[in-house]
Amino acid sequence: MSGGPATENKGTHLERAAALKETRPYSPCRAACPVNTDVQAYVGFIAQGRYAEAFEVIRSVNPIASACSVICHHPCEQACRRCSVDEPLSVRHLKRFALEQAADYRRSKRRLIEKTKNKSIGIIGSGPSGLTAANDLADMGYKVTIYERHPVLGGMLATAIPSYRLPREALKEDIDDVISKGIEVKTNCEIGKDVALKDVMAKHDAVLLALGLSLSRSLNIPGVEGQGVLLAIPFLADVAFNKKPDLGNRVLVVGGGNVAMDVARAARRLGIKDVEMVCLESAEEMPAWKWEVDEAVDEGIKIHHRWGPKAVKREGDKVKGLEVTKVLSVFDAERRFSPTFDNNQTTLIEADTIIITIGQMANVKFLKDSPVQVDERGRVTWDPKTQMSSARGVFCSGEVVTGPGSAIAAAASGHRSAIAIHLYLQGEAIEGALPTYQKEKLPELPADVVEKINREPRKKIKHLPAETRCSSFVPFEFGYDELEALEEAGRCRGCAGGAVVDTKKCMACLTCRRVCPYGAPVVQAYSEINPERCQACGLCAPECPAQAISMVSYDVRGPRDTMPEIVGAVDPKRQEPVIVAFLCTHHVGVKGFELPENVRKVPVHCTSRIDVNDLLKAFECGADGVAVVRCGNGSCKYKGVEGRVTARTEHAKKLIAMLGMEAGRIGLLTADAGNGKSYAAACAEFSGRVKEMGLKDAK
Amino acid sequence: MIVGSQKSIDEIWNMVKDFKKVLVFGCNTCVAISHAGGGKEAETIATLLRMRASQEGKSMEVDHTDVMRHCEPEYFEPVMDELKKYDLILSTACGVGVNFLSQRIGKIPVYPGVNTSFYGAVEAPGQFVELCAGCGNCILHLTGGICPVARCSKTLMNGPCGGTNKGKCEIGPEVDCAWYLIVERMKELGTLDKLAEIQPVRNWSTSRDGGPRRVSLEHIRAYEEGEARKSETAGGNK
Ligand SMILES: Cc1cc2nc3c(=O)[nH]c(=O)nc-3n(C[C@H](O)[C@H](O)[C@H](O)COP(=O)(O)OP(=O)(O)OC[C@H]3O[C@@H](n4cnc5c(N)ncnc54)[C@H](O)[C@@H]3O)c2cc1C
Ligand code: SF4
Repeated sequence: MSGGPATENKGTHLERAAALKETRPYSPCRAACPVNTDVQAYVGFIAQGRYAEAFEVIRSVNPIASACSVICHHPCEQACRRCSVDEPLSVRHLKRFALEQAADYRRSKRRLIEKTKNKSIGIIGSGPSGLTAANDLADMGYKVTIYERHPVLGGMLATAIPSYRLPREALKEDIDDVISKGIEVKTNCEIGKDVALKDVMAKHDAVLLALGLSLSRSLNIPGVEGQGVLLAIPFLADVAFNKKPDLGNRVLVVGGGNVAMDVARAARRLGIKDVEMVCLESAEEMPAWKWEVDEAVDEGIKIHHRWGPKAVKREGDKVKGLEVTKVLSVFDAERRFSPTFDNNQTTLIEADTIIITIGQMANVKFLKDSPVQVDERGRVTWDPKTQMSSARGVFCSGEVVTGPGSAIAAAASGHRSAIAIHLYLQGEAIEGALPTYQKEKLPELPADVVEKINREPRKKIKHLPAETRCSSFVPFEFGYDELEALEEAGRCRGCAGGAVVDTKKCMACLTCRRVCPYGAPVVQAYSEINPERCQACGLCAPECPAQAISMVSYDVRGPRDTMPEIVGAVDPKRQEPVIVAFLCTHHVGVKGFELPENVRKVPVHCTSRIDVNDLLKAFECGADGVAVVRCGNGSCKYKGVEGRVTARTEHAKKLIAMLGMEAGRIGLLTADAGNGKSYAAACAEFSGRVKEMGLKDAK
Repeated sequence: MIVGSQKSIDEIWNMVKDFKKVLVFGCNTCVAISHAGGGKEAETIATLLRMRASQEGKSMEVDHTDVMRHCEPEYFEPVMDELKKYDLILSTACGVGVNFLSQRIGKIPVYPGVNTSFYGAVEAPGQFVELCAGCGNCILHLTGGICPVARCSKTLMNGPCGGTNKGKCEIGPEVDCAWYLIVERMKELGTLDKLAEIQPVRNWSTSRDGGPRRVSLEHIRAYEEGEARKSETAGGNK
């Protein structure tokens, strides 16, 4: 009980809160993520300038984090509760920012992992699912070998997605994390060609087929065979390996999905000015993400909607163009894909090269005559409850069995397979023991809570202008700078990260109910704080007279428990006062500007979280003055907290006055929310005032 | 509930200054509701005392902890061993808690960090009013639910006195006249005529004047004592 409360405080706050989080609904962003990334937690760390911790949260569930930070289709954003306020949080860009900031930390954490289990696993395929499984199995202490037919690791991320969207340096960070754990890698090694499957099965205790969908589907129309007609995946692989295919002057891409967008935009970047696309769907029906379509159109790509391919027209060997038929409808009454055509309406779209991008399939020819069964439609037979194929000890994961989806969904499948393999090797039951990632989530924000939330538009991301970006494969999207990222992170409402009541301490005094701006606490025999309404502002916890309230997303005692380290040794001969400044990180945050050297900062995400006992503790640890710096001109993240914060500082002033100290040693300062320098200036000015009052015990 | 208010740091300091290891011991029921002596306030007092000790150049260890209530032994028994490591307990419970713990903790002194003010209600956040004096003989049914014992400055049983002035008491313009309130309330209830009845001289023996009080519930005590006797004869030590 030395100098503090008698409670135990082991591990990080996040670790302590993990079990509690499992018992409560997830934030919708987390629930929407195929691997349940704790978005709220890492965005919260970013908002406090704690980038290494943000990285840890991300990386703990996502071994392809850097790739996701540039190419993920971010279901978290579509689910964000801020959608009902203004716009969703820019989660993907925040992830990218955190990973970029934590790059050195991340590299310093790479370690060889000891092989504690005397079993080995052969993983065929190094895409997101194979890499994820390798990562997890290595963490568990297994020997892992990856077999990859390409010269590089990463699957479609390395061999299909063009580098203007996914810079290879980003992907390399992910791969290096995994490989550094001590994984044997065999590239340029196609199973079924370079090495037989039976040899892989004989060599390892378990095998994982993470083959992806490496073949492109073609069209069954006249003229399709022969030069001038390419398939998407081989074309993209050529682009990825810097082989410049001869495309002529006009390229026509057949298809309306995301892969088609990559093909068309890659063709533009190979110097082709006239790139056109043709698809069955109207602009609204197209399966490609709207943002991809918009970007492609900006790049001068023309899209012919609602035409279906009929025949490749040739002059001799040379392709002349694609004859197309008018589409009448794409879907039937049950919204099933079932296109109908008007055969009387046809036209020719001229082109020198046609690239067919209408879907992919698995290459499973090498499984013929193996114990792994493949059905009549060429799909590997498997049991999704155990991730096992028809052959004992041979598991499957990723798109080869789930069909086309996203990289992060393939990673989730990899996690499941790793656990399945581990259970299998330990002789334990698999069924029912694999994570589903299906979690209960918080409902939408109640309308009256929405009313209380400040409108703050999402921070826009800059792109290279369309005219310049098409001339090369340089990444076209910029990341956030620090101030932008901190501001964007500040928009998060901290869903599911809010207040929890210790029912053993609560005596139902109603203080929290009276304090809460959002009507979250319901007090009967004890207080229960409704997570649906709670905005994690933290206003209640410092007011609770029984200290019964803690916060899921941060440690309410954090500032005072770490105050001795924050203040550090106080020099009795100092010339300048030691100032502890509690800085709101909502707007300019904790970085991006220099504070005077004598100012020790305590970042808080809104001054609503500051406790009178935090202020006192700073003095106890040797501060000559304590400042609470909040955002000015009505820019406070949480409406209506200012009065309470003022009341707390006034109370603290009275308390220090009882010890004969000048009340002015506590300053409630206001800074200009958009300008980091004003925070520093406010601290410097306050420091001057404290200096005039004298330095406590200074010799 | 019982309303308490914190003593000044000077007063507390004078009580504790000669001790080396002090525990500020909060109580999380009534005095917490009145923001005087719950866990949070205990922490504040402990911090201020450490700061004071350092100002005075004294080496003193000051910690804090709290339990739900100090007026029932089961609540503080789990921390009893911990409490015994200190040479002074500064209790921020009401006087009941201070007495109660003091009787049970052996040679360690228990001092009060809070002045026990009254039985009151939370009129508004941070505002507490005395509404009952615990006199042991309730007559609220005769006075429109307004207690003249607690709320009349002279504890008159047949008021008001001549000092009543436009609804206020003669002791100060901010003090309501309880008898004015009683009359208004009885008018509202249509029972004003009852006030014509003169209340006899009151027997104060149920209140402070009758010496220390105790309530003993026979049906519960009879059982508990029976059990205690049984375990004694069985040689157990309860
Ligand atoms: C052009 C394109 C763009 C995409 N864009 C996005 C995007 O923006 N966002 C997103 O989330 N997802 C995107 N995806 C989807 C994403 O790439 C896939 O979901 C993901 O790669 C699937 O992972 P996987 O591990 O199942 O398979 P893959 O990534 O396909 O990896 C399988 C690996 O197995 C290897 N392999 C196959 N057979 C053998 C064998 N016999 N021997 C040895 N090795 C073998 C392959 O070479 C390959 O490397 C895109 C896909 C494509 C094709
Ligand atoms: S506001 Fe934050 S926590 Fe809530 S859904 Fe959006 S990103 Fe997740």
